[in-house]
Amino acid sequence: MINDQFSVQVYSHSRPIVTVDSYEVPRDQITFLFGESGIGKSMISKAIYGLLDGDELDISVNGKKYSDYLKETKTAEIKKNSFFVFQEPSSHLNPLLNISSQLREGSLALSDAEQEIMMRLWRGTDENAVKRILDVFPKPYRPSGGEKQRILLAMAFKKIDVFLQTKTSDSPSYFVFDEPTGSLDNTYRNLFIRLLFQCYQTKPFTVTIITHDYSVISELYTKYTPLLDVIHLKELRRSKGAAVELVDFSADDYLTWLDKSKPVISASGAQQPVLTMAPHFKIFGRKLCLYGDAAHSREKTLVINKGEMAYVKAPSGVGKTTLAKVILGLYKSRESDLTISGIAINENTPQKKLAKKIWGKRAGMVFQHADESLDLQSSVGETFAGLPLTPALNRESIKNKLHELFEQPLSEAFLSKKVAFLSGGQKQRLNLLRTLALGTDLIILDEPLNGLDFVSVKKVLELLAEKQKQGAALLMISHNEEIFDHFVDPQNIYYLAETA
Amino acid sequence: MDASVLKQKDSRWAMILILGLLVTGVWDALFLNKPALRFVVSGFFNTICVALLVVVFTLIFAWIVTLVLNYLESHNRRASYMLVTFLLNTIRSVPQVVGILFGYIAVGIMLQNGIIRGALPVFPLLAVSISVFVFIEFVDLMRERIAHYKKLDFYNAMQVCGISESRIINIDILWKNSRIHIFNKLISVFGAAIFLQCSVDFIISVGLSTDVNATALPATMGSMLANIDSKQDVLAIGYALTHPLYVGNLFFEHLQGLTVAFLIVFLLVCTFHIANGYAQRHRL
Amino acid sequence: MKTKLAEHFFSVVFVTVLLLLLLFVVRSSSNAVINKEKARLSAYGDLGFVDFKDSFHKALLKDVINAYYPDQYDTNAVIVNEILASREKEFSEKIQKSYIEEKLSGAKILQLCGMYVKFLLVYIVVMLLTYYGVQTLGVYRFVRKKQMLLQRKKSLLFRSKTAMKAIGTTAAYFVLFSPAYVIAYSIRTEFNTDTIIFMALLGVISNGLLVTYMNKFFAFLTAESRKGYIDTAIVKNLNNAYGQHEKGGISYAEIFRPFKTFDGHVFDHIYKNARYQYLSTVKEQASFLISGLIIIEMALNIHGHLSYELLRQLLYKNYDIVIVIVLFIFYTVKGTEVFVDLLINREEKKYENK
Repeated sequence: MINDQFSVQVYSHSRPIVTVDSYEVPRDQITFLFGESGIGKSMISKAIYGLLDGDELDISVNGKKYSDYLKETKTAEIKKNSFFVFQEPSSHLNPLLNISSQLREGSLALSDAEQEIMMRLWRGTDENAVKRILDVFPKPYRPSGGEKQRILLAMAFKKIDVFLQTKTSDSPSYFVFDEPTGSLDNTYRNLFIRLLFQCYQTKPFTVTIITHDYSVISELYTKYTPLLDVIHLKELRRSKGAAVELVDFSADDYLTWLDKSKPVISASGAQQPVLTMAPHFKIFGRKLCLYGDAAHSREKTLVINKGEMAYVKAPSGVGKTTLAKVILGLYKSRESDLTISGIAINENTPQKKLAKKIWGKRAGMVFQHADESLDLQSSVGETFAGLPLTPALNRESIKNKLHELFEQPLSEAFLSKKVAFLSGGQKQRLNLLRTLALGTDLIILDEPLNGLDFVSVKKVLELLAEKQKQGAALLMISHNEEIFDHFVDPQNIYYLAETA
Repeated sequence: MDASVLKQKDSRWAMILILGLLVTGVWDALFLNKPALRFVVSGFFNTICVALLVVVFTLIFAWIVTLVLNYLESHNRRASYMLVTFLLNTIRSVPQVVGILFGYIAVGIMLQNGIIRGALPVFPLLAVSISVFVFIEFVDLMRERIAHYKKLDFYNAMQVCGISESRIINIDILWKNSRIHIFNKLISVFGAAIFLQCSVDFIISVGLSTDVNATALPATMGSMLANIDSKQDVLAIGYALTHPLYVGNLFFEHLQGLTVAFLIVFLLVCTFHIANGYAQRHRL
Repeated sequence: MKTKLAEHFFSVVFVTVLLLLLLFVVRSSSNAVINKEKARLSAYGDLGFVDFKDSFHKALLKDVINAYYPDQYDTNAVIVNEILASREKEFSEKIQKSYIEEKLSGAKILQLCGMYVKFLLVYIVVMLLTYYGVQTLGVYRFVRKKQMLLQRKKSLLFRSKTAMKAIGTTAAYFVLFSPAYVIAYSIRTEFNTDTIIFMALLGVISNGLLVTYMNKFFAFLTAESRKGYIDTAIVKNLNNAYGQHEKGGISYAEIFRPFKTFDGHVFDHIYKNARYQYLSTVKEQASFLISGLIIIEMALNIHGHLSYELLRQLLYKNYDIVIVIVLFIFYTVKGTEVFVDLLINREEKKYENK
C-alpha cells in the first residue's frame, strides 16, 4: 500500500484554524472520515486537493508554502484527474446555468456516460423525467435537495468515468465526497455506495468520504466484506487547540453499542398525551399524511404521551421539518388538527397566543443547523438569556446545564466564549441544551445528531433518555434511521408521505 | 501606535483623514488671512455638524420605520404595510437633490419669516431634510438583515424557545449581528450627507441667493465654494493645469477656494475608503 | 410583477395629484395675501391722483389723513409709509415681472419638452456609459487583484510599481469623487463646459458615481467568487488562470469589450452572477445619476437645460412651471424603475424555471 502523508497548517490572520502533522490518505483506497463538524475535515481535504484560497488564508502543506504546493506536478495532476463533491448541494450549483450545461462543462465534457449515470442515479425513472431535470436552473425548491445532491454525484461519476478511461496506471487521483448523502435517504445512500464501489472495482482510485452517518458502517460490514481490506474508517480528533490528529475509528465500538441500545421505558408510564395530531394536513398546496407502516397502508394519528419518543421517517424533501414547524404553529397549515398539552393549534391560532402559551412554555424545538439556530455573536452564557424561565438562569445554573453535555470542568472563560468560536459539535450541543433547559412538555428534535462525533452522539442520546424518564415527550426527526430504530419503540415510528 | 492597526485599510484612511485635516489646518493658519480662515473653519464645522446630525436622524428614522414595517408584516396588517411601503417607495423615486433642495428652501423661508430663529433649530432641520431622502436605503439594509435571519432557522429557533420578538429583532439581529453592517452604512451616509449638503448649498448660493438668503442659512463648505472669492480660486486650478509654473501660487494666493474644494473632495475620498476598508475587514 | 406595476402606477398618480393640489394651494394662498393687503389699504380710497414722487403731494396726503383721523398721528404716519411702500413694491414688481413672470402656456410646455428630451438624451447616454464603465472597471480591478497575487511581492520593481500605482489611483479617486461643480469650475477657464458632451462626460466621471458603483460591482464579483458553485467549476477543470498572457488567462480585450463573455473560464460564472445581482442596483444608480445631472445643470447654470430652468423658475416663483419640471423628473425616475423591474422580471422568469 502506498500511502500519501500530509502535514497541513491553515492560519487566518496568524490565528490557527486547523493544523495536522500526519494526515494519511491511503493511495487508491477508500477512507471514510468521521469526526465532529467544524474540526477541519473539509478544510484539510480541500487543502490537499488544492482548493483553498491562498489570498484569504495562510496555508502550508508538507512544510511548503501553498503557492509552491499548488505548482507541484503531482498537485496539478490530482486536480486534473479528480473531483470534489462539496456538502450543501444547493450552494454548489450555478443558479444561472441549467443543469445540463453544468453537467457538460470543463473536463466533464470528456465523458459520454452522462445518460447512463443519470439513469442509474435516478433509479430507472423514465428518461423524460431525467431530461426535464436537465433543462431547469437550480433554484431552492427545484430541483429538490436530494436531486441536487445526485446531480453533484453525477458530475463526480462522470469525472470518475474520465479517470477510468486514462491509459496510465499510476495517475494520482483524489475523489472527495463531503457529506455526499446528507440530503439522501438510506436507499439513495446505498445506491451511491454501490455505484462508487463498482467503479472502484474497475480501476482503483483514491477516495475520501467525509460523513457523520455512522450507520454506513453496518452497510459496509454486511454488504461489502470483500472490500474491507481497502476500506479505512478514520476519525479526526482534536488534540490541542486547533491541532487535530487522525485516528482509527473502531467499527466494533459502534456496532456493539448499537446492539445494546434499547428504547426507554418511561417511569411515568401512564398514557397522558402531550401531543396529538390527526394524520392529514395540507401545506404549500401539498397534502401530507402520517402512516403507521412503511408501506403507507395504515393512516395513524400522531400521539406522543409523557415520557415517550416518537420517530418520524420520510425520504429527504417530503416535509419532516415542515411537519415540526406546523406542530409549533410556525407554518400555517390547512386542515390540521392538533393539540399540545390540551391546547388546540390550527391555522387561525394567533402568534400572540403561541408566544404566550406554547413557545418555550409547553413546547420547544431543536433546529437542525446549529450554526443558523444560535446567535454566533453571543457568548455561550448569553445564549441562555431571554429564555422564559423564572428565575432566569444565573451563571452557576448555566454551568450546571452545560455539564450535561460538555466536559468538566467548565471555566468562566468558556461561558464568555463567543459561540462563533466553538466547534460545530460544541455548537450542536449548545443548541440542544438551550431547548432542553426550558423543561417543556414537548421537545421536537430535528436532526439532533448532526455534526456530532460518536462520543457526543452517545452522550446526547443518554441525555434524551434522561429527559424521557423525567416525563418529557420527544418527537424525533432524523435520517440516522439505524440508530433510532434501536432507540424508539416500533409502535411510535411514523411514516410521513405526500398523498394525492 | 501599533503598526498592525495601519495595515487595516479603514484605520489607515482614518489616520490619513486626520493628518490631512491637521496639515490643511496648519497651512491655512500660516498662510490664509484671518477672516477667510474663520470663514473656512466655521463652514467646515457646520458641514460636519449637519452631516453628523444626518447620521443620527437617519439611524433613528430607519430603526423606527423598520420596526413598524416588521410589526405590520408579522401581525398581518397588510393594508397598513402596503401604505407605508408605498410612501417609502414614492420618497425613493424623488431624486435626493430635488427633495433636499425643497427642504432647504422651506427652512430658508421659515428663517426669513421668523418662524425659526438662530442656528440651533436650523441645523437639525437641515439634517432632517437630508435624512428623509437618505434613510430609505438604511431601512432596506435593516430589513434585509431581518429577512436574512428570518430565512435561516435563527429567528424561528429563538422564537420557539420563548424569546420575545422585540429581543430577537433589536438585540440579536440588529444589534449583535448587524451592527457592523449598520456602522458601515452610517459611514457611507456621512459621506452622502457631505456630498448632498455641499451640492445643495452650492446650488442655492449660486442660483437662489435672492430667494433663500444665503446669509440666513449657516455657512457650509458648499455655500463657501459658491462664494465669488472661492470660485476665482477654483478657476485658478484650471489655469494652473495649463500653466504649471503657476501651481505654487495656488497654495498661497488661492488658498480659500482651494482649501474648501480640497476639504470636500478629501472628506468624500477618505469616507469612501474608510467604509470600503471597514467592509473588507469584516467581509461584508 | 403586476403588484409592482400597480404600485408604480399609483405612485405616479399620487405624486401628480399631490403636486397639482400643491399648485392650487400655492396659487390660492398667494392671491389671498395680495388681496388682503390691497383690501386694507383700499379703505383710504383711490389714490391714483397722488404723485408720490412729489413731496408736496405726500405732505398733503398726510395732512388729509390727519384731518380725517385727528387722534392718531403716529398711526397715520405708519399708514402713509405703508401706502408709499406698497406703491413702490407694486412698481418694482411690475418692472421685475416684465421679464421674470412666465405663465404655463402651450409654448412654454413645448419649450420644457425640448429641454426634457435633451435631459433624457444625456441621461440615457450617461447611463449606458456608466453601465459599461462600472462593469469594465469592476472586472479590471478584480482581474488585476488576481494577477497581483502571482507577482513577486518583495522585488524592488514590484514595490515601486505598486507605489506609482497607488499615487495614480489616489489621484484618480480625487477626480472621480469631485463634485461636478468642482471639476467644471476648475477647468472652466480652459474649456467650454456648457456643451452637452462635456455634461455627459462630467456625469460619468464626477460625483463619485462611477467609483461608487464600480466598487459595488467589484463587491458582487468578490462575493460571487467565494460561493460554492465556483469551487464546483474549479473541480470541473474550467480555466482558472488570470494572467494576461497566461494560457487560459484573461486578456484586456476580453475585459474592455462591451459585451463580455469569458467562455470556458471560471470567471464567466462569477461575472454573469455578479451582473445578475447588479441589475437590482441599477434603479439606485439611475436615481443617483439623475441627482448628479441635476446638480451639474443647476450648479453650472447651463442655460436652456431642464434643471437650470427649474432653479430659475424657483427663483422667480413661477411655481406652476416648477411643478411641471419636477413631474418630468419624477416620471423619468419612475420610467427607469418600471424598465428595470420589467428587465429583472424577465431575467427572473428565465432563471426561476417559471
